[in-house]
Amino acid sequence: MPSLRVRRGAVALLALAVVYLIAAQVGRGRLPDRIWMGAHYVENVQLLPTWHSLAEEGAFLLESGILLDSVLVSSGRVFIGLLLGSLAGIVLGLLTGWGTRVESLADPWVTLFRFTPALALLPLYVVWFGYGEASKVLLIATNVAVITLLGAHHGVRAVPRVYLDAAASLGASRWLRFRKIVLPASFPSIFNSVRVAAGLAWVTIVVAELIDARMPSLGYLLALSGAYPRVPTMLIGIATVGALVLVFDLLALLLHARATRWMGRAG
Amino acid sequence: MTANASPPLLEALDVSYTYSGLTPTRALEDLSLEVKENEFLAVLGPVGCGKTTLLRIFAGFLRPTKGSVRCAGSSIDGPGWQRGYVLQEQAIFPWMTVRENLEFGLLAKGVAPAARRAVSDQFLGLIGLSEFESAFPKELSTGMSKMVEVARVLATDPALLLLDEPFGALDAQTRARMQDALAGLWERRRKTVLFVTHDVEEALYLADRIVVLSPRPGKVKAHFAVDLPRPRSVETRFSTGFLAVKRKVWEATGPGP
Repeated sequence: MPSLRVRRGAVALLALAVVYLIAAQVGRGRLPDRIWMGAHYVENVQLLPTWHSLAEEGAFLLESGILLDSVLVSSGRVFIGLLLGSLAGIVLGLLTGWGTRVESLADPWVTLFRFTPALALLPLYVVWFGYGEASKVLLIATNVAVITLLGAHHGVRAVPRVYLDAAASLGASRWLRFRKIVLPASFPSIFNSVRVAAGLAWVTIVVAELIDARMPSLGYLLALSGAYPRVPTMLIGIATVGALVLVFDLLALLLHARATRWMGRAG
Repeated sequence: MTANASPPLLEALDVSYTYSGLTPTRALEDLSLEVKENEFLAVLGPVGCGKTTLLRIFAGFLRPTKGSVRCAGSSIDGPGWQRGYVLQEQAIFPWMTVRENLEFGLLAKGVAPAARRAVSDQFLGLIGLSEFESAFPKELSTGMSKMVEVARVLATDPALLLLDEPFGALDAQTRARMQDALAGLWERRRKTVLFVTHDVEEALYLADRIVVLSPRPGKVKAHFAVDLPRPRSVETRFSTGFLAVKRKVWEATGPGP
């Protein structure tokens, strides 16, 4: 993990926050504070909440325990969804990539599901799996599975021919070639897809938590703050999801660096 | 190469190979070739004369369109460790350490870990990489990676070694060094070798016999025996005997009927 990259990232984040706070100070008293919401006016809307009101709102969310509980509940769902989805996706992707006969069967299905938005599956999953935890987690898992399936499939397909030939020439069985050549050679591609899927899982959670929406959860917090609307809450909710994605991604990168010491440098 | 009572270990009989496609390419045509036991044979030919195709047929990755190939009396179907094949491309496994690379063929053969270790120890010593046993290939030079590939194939103790321009991507100095390393390895553990190259000097320096192929479609154009004493050294490269054969081979490889 190059510390220079981490430092640059931190500086970039800090710069963005400063720019926002300056904009909020400048906008204070200049921006309209009532807006037309289609049916009625909303008063005291704070289009760009200042540092002060963000701190106030943040303190309230922290002290009441809403934020921490939401983070824990949503992280749990993302984690389980990511785990189940990755497992299913990677296994299927390896199968379709390595098995010559399975590929033609899977291809059209993958293409079909690739761009299916989570929102479109939502009512279907509610009907199938009910209003409980299962439909939320499975919605995340489905989205994760599609991405990781593609990653594993293409990873296997992209294993250079020379390695497979060299291994076959050394007498390696198909199974040994799969374990010792295909798996390690496709690992970077699989891993990158899990990284992308982890980010996507956090996007999906906001939709998934609209199912039987209730406290505490980040998806509900965001939905609720949109309904009022309460801009400070929205901004804190978005920043929290962003921070969690960042943490997940950093953890993933650390794992990646450990697992691919053989490569020139970590992705 | 006068008294050759032993039967050929490897032979190609009237082999033709055509790559199918929109414009079918005839790579080899009626090529016949024999490699005797413990012989170091170099196949010399211009780029694109079907040398690699011939080697891939011997390795078992391609089936001749016409004719037959046999190894130790039985026809070749599919790749196998008995015909150790070193590809032209870099094929050292980058995710395995040098030692794991050397032991891969033994792992495939089901050799026990202790025995694998003994063999890899021996080859690490032979190619002078004992200190690099647990290094990943990214730390090795191209030439050393290639030597690991050669040793990796030799570790399984194949009946025959198929080498496809192993030093083609190296600069002249490194190439000479690798040739010495290969010759040293070969003199210590004699094996039947089929070595493909486009470099006349390399073929002369290493081989007992040279077969010259014509441009595509490849067929045998000429044979030369290289009766130079072993072990060969830098002196060999400038000896009159070497230069005399070099002239003959050079003339045979040049443009002609």
